[in-house]
Amino acid sequence: MSSGDSNPAATPTPCVDIQGDGRWMSLHNHFVSNSKDKEPDVLFVGDSLVQLLHQFEVWRELFSPLHALNFGVGGDETQHVLWRLSNGELAHISPKVVVLWVGTHNHGHTAEQICGGIMAIVQLIKDKLPKAYTLVLGVLPRGKMPNPLRERNAQVNKLVKDAVSSLPHASLLNVDPGFVHSDGSISHQDLYDFLHLTPQGYQAVCQPLHAHLKGLLEKQAEN
Amino acid sequence: MTDIPRLTSAVASCLRIAISWMSGDEMNPAAVAQAVEDIQGDDRWMSQIWRELFSPLHALNFGIGGDTTCNVLWRLQNGELDNIGPKVTVVWVGTNNHEHSAEQVAGGILAIAQLLTSRLPKTKVVVLGLLARGEWPNPLREKNVAVNSFLRSWLPRLGHTQFLDVGAGFVHSDETISTRDMFDFLHLTAAGYRAIAKPLIDLLLQILEETPEEKRASLV
Repeated sequence: MSSGDSNPAATPTPCVDIQGDGRWMSLHNHFVSNSKDKEPDVLFVGDSLVQLLHQFEVWRELFSPLHALNFGVGGDETQHVLWRLSNGELAHISPKVVVLWVGTHNHGHTAEQICGGIMAIVQLIKDKLPKAYTLVLGVLPRGKMPNPLRERNAQVNKLVKDAVSSLPHASLLNVDPGFVHSDGSISHQDLYDFLHLTPQGYQAVCQPLHAHLKGLLEKQAEN
Repeated sequence: MTDIPRLTSAVASCLRIAISWMSGDEMNPAAVAQAVEDIQGDDRWMSQIWRELFSPLHALNFGIGGDTTCNVLWRLQNGELDNIGPKVTVVWVGTNNHEHSAEQVAGGILAIAQLLTSRLPKTKVVVLGLLARGEWPNPLREKNVAVNSFLRSWLPRLGHTQFLDVGAGFVHSDETISTRDMFDFLHLTAAGYRAIAKPLIDLLLQILEETPEEKRASLV
């Protein structure tokens, strides 16, 4: 765990309740207890992009039929997801595929640190669920026009892709269908606040994701 | 360059302190207009519900996630009211004002209502009460109840403004809030939005039917 000591993005850390209503811990406890009577084939885990997906029709259309559970929490950074998965959220389930989508909210961390955080989660999943496949989703571009966070996210994706290339149990899937237009802008019709997906945006991301997931599940069934 | 609500509100509070010092009088920080850096766009993530329930009323949505009363004031003072003449304006803000007391938050909402009635003489203002939040009882629930209580007594003194509480039923008898209504114990699910839409739309239709233009048109 030596890399965890020096990389805050890879050190399991619960979210501190700054606001005063304990919602983060409530959600974590819900995920742990909800998982006790479920047998998901697919687990989605990550930040607001995962959490909000659960609120849209597309979840019911594409992912409920795959017996998917959703452990997304808005605002979560890699170290928060790492803490949640280390503290009960994987204790009662054996999904065949874990879809991991996190990293865009890791403000103040470098691309290398964020990659380290994502890879720490990949390793943790391997330790707790030796038979599961981890599908890491590429972090999306953000902001209306080009900005440093877009560059950081692109670099995270590149580093993660390299890191998982040698692993048989994980891969990176780029789910950006081309949100950045030729003039460098992102449309609010795809990302309504230039960060979060509209229903249209989710459709564009989820159709190929769904196809890829089905392929992975079929392969897992063969093994 | 960042768009975390937490960081920007820290910047905003420094600016607010600076403004208070400079102006020399005791201001309510929740009623000081303050822009949020770098956030543009509108919070249309529930656009399917919007289309179903509110588009038929010819409604515009100028909501931004994370906004405080200060941010809304800034936006309204900086162009958002320039080109429109709505018959009704619905205001729903205050739950994110983490650095302000209940009284300050209510004062900020009052300042918004005052701004609206002065800038848009034809509009009727409907202020929605703040909802309960958090899975279990907690200080923020108490704070939001206190804000609503201030609003109930202050708003009737403003002309053309009324308060509507849409929070009934979200807190169950065991004092919990369900993720079926608020998926993160703060933001409404589709089911939660449908529940608040009923009393709101009833009131909106009532107000729209009462507007003088309608009456004049029907006399012709």
